Amino acid sequence: MSTARPSNLVWVPFFTLIKREIKRFMKVAVQTVLTPMITASLYLLIFGVSLGSHITLTSGVSYLAFLIPGLVMMGCLNNAFQNSSSSIVISKFSGDLEDLKIAPITNQQILWAMGVGGLFRGAFVGFVTLVVAEVFYYFSEGLVLGIQHPLILTVFLIFGGLAFAFLGLSTAFWAKNFDQLAAVNSFILLPLIYLGGVFFSIESLHPFWRSVAALNPLVYFINGVRYGFLGISDVDPLLALAVSGITMVVLYVTAYFSLKRASFIRW
Amino acid sequence: MNKPLLIENLFKSYGPVKAVNGVNLELQEGEIFGLLGPNGAGKTSIISCVVTLEKATSGQISIFGEKVGDATQRAQSKVGIVPQEVVNHGFFSIYEILEFQSGYYGISNNKERIEELLHELQLFEHREKKVKQLSGGMKRRLMIAKALVHKPRLLLLDEPTAGVDIELRSHLWKFVQKLKQQGVTVLLTTHYLEEAQELCDRVAVINRGEIVALDKTQSLIRGLTDRTLKIKFHGQEDYKTYTMKSGEALGQYLEKNKIDPLQIDDLSIEDGKLETAVRRLLNEKNNPAKSTEALP
Repeated sequence: MSTARPSNLVWVPFFTLIKREIKRFMKVAVQTVLTPMITASLYLLIFGVSLGSHITLTSGVSYLAFLIPGLVMMGCLNNAFQNSSSSIVISKFSGDLEDLKIAPITNQQILWAMGVGGLFRGAFVGFVTLVVAEVFYYFSEGLVLGIQHPLILTVFLIFGGLAFAFLGLSTAFWAKNFDQLAAVNSFILLPLIYLGGVFFSIESLHPFWRSVAALNPLVYFINGVRYGFLGISDVDPLLALAVSGITMVVLYVTAYFSLKRASFIRW
Repeated sequence: MNKPLLIENLFKSYGPVKAVNGVNLELQEGEIFGLLGPNGAGKTSIISCVVTLEKATSGQISIFGEKVGDATQRAQSKVGIVPQEVVNHGFFSIYEILEFQSGYYGISNNKERIEELLHELQLFEHREKKVKQLSGGMKRRLMIAKALVHKPRLLLLDEPTAGVDIELRSHLWKFVQKLKQQGVTVLLTTHYLEEAQELCDRVAVINRGEIVALDKTQSLIRGLTDRTLKIKFHGQEDYKTYTMKSGEALGQYLEKNKIDPLQIDDLSIEDGKLETAVRRLLNEKNNPAKSTEALP
């Protein structure tokens, strides 16, 4: 009997894990396709179309156009987090997390595969949100919302998707039960996203609250994506890029140490 | 030649509890080795350290010469494990599970091996089912298929037949013997000592984290159990039963007990059982004061 050649242990396990993550989220299409479509439609209908028609922004773009990049990024970040965290927590529960520890897969391979898996789901949901938003935008404005800087948009989506997938991984290894995972999502993640400038321009805030908002890294991720779409941003795009990049690195390092210290034994 | 598994001075503690207390073990290539002992003796802790699921408190483990810790990936690629508990992969079919498992071990296209195992373990027609749709026996067989999908040279079976019916147990043991013929080294823990006696070339008995006996299966039995001598004398219908010390010659025994060989119509000698040997050993270790008491 011959075992696998060590040279195959670099990329094959890594891509297998990514494939598994993608297949997993594609099997729950109600969560990954239908739910974001409905959520995006509701936000666009209530905030974009209904309330948005009464809101004037100093930047000169319509409120609906302002809202769309934020919703795309919100969907991406939320789902990147959900993907890696739920994958780990479910695996802890079912016991198949032990398979990863026993198999010849390194922590780096697990970390990056989970990150890329989360990014795929985040980008996929971001795309679904954009498709829905474009329909709303077309019926409201009579044209399709273009993308001013596609490369910049892609970079911010990659940074955001990876960063939140790493955060999901750390949270899932830290959590001792489903409640703790839900608590992080409800009490930390969602407030940061909602206060990160998805629905409003931080320019419109009181200077004190503007300074507080500047401490929220989500402001930079969301404004980076908004700059990619519209060419406008509440913060300097270079500063947004730097903060987003640093946040991603910090969350990567946190995830690495979480994984190193983590228990893979089933709940 | 590198040993399939070499464990040197292994310690594993969970807080104040010493689960493994200075274990040394060396497996020979191609043997079936039984690790026996009561619940909580430390068997699963040793296996968990070997497969890196748990980190040893101290000591060293090598798999075919690759040190766990230094060359963990290379060491891990040579091992397959059937865990005590069934893993429930909620999202995927049996076939997908085996495909992913192959990928984890660096094998990207493993259709032939997967199908071979599915046929061998009678799971082929269930390959599109999910784990929750399988019976208990099928789940066990899936665990075995997962452990073998990358053709490991060392197979760890941690209570693989717990809760499995007699027919399936017999099928699995035949399968393990077949693996041995193919050169796979097997480390087995089981509570079915009768089967361990049939299967294992060597056994170690572990108690409270320490190995208290390690020998060839038959040698251990001979050293710790008596033999049963059954004699049918002339003119008698029933056999008379005698207990003979292991290693004692028949002629010597007959002479000592003043049995005239010319009066014997028929006789048979039965060796002791592994179960009796293990029970005696554990009884001696756990209750030294009563160690001289006879055991059934």
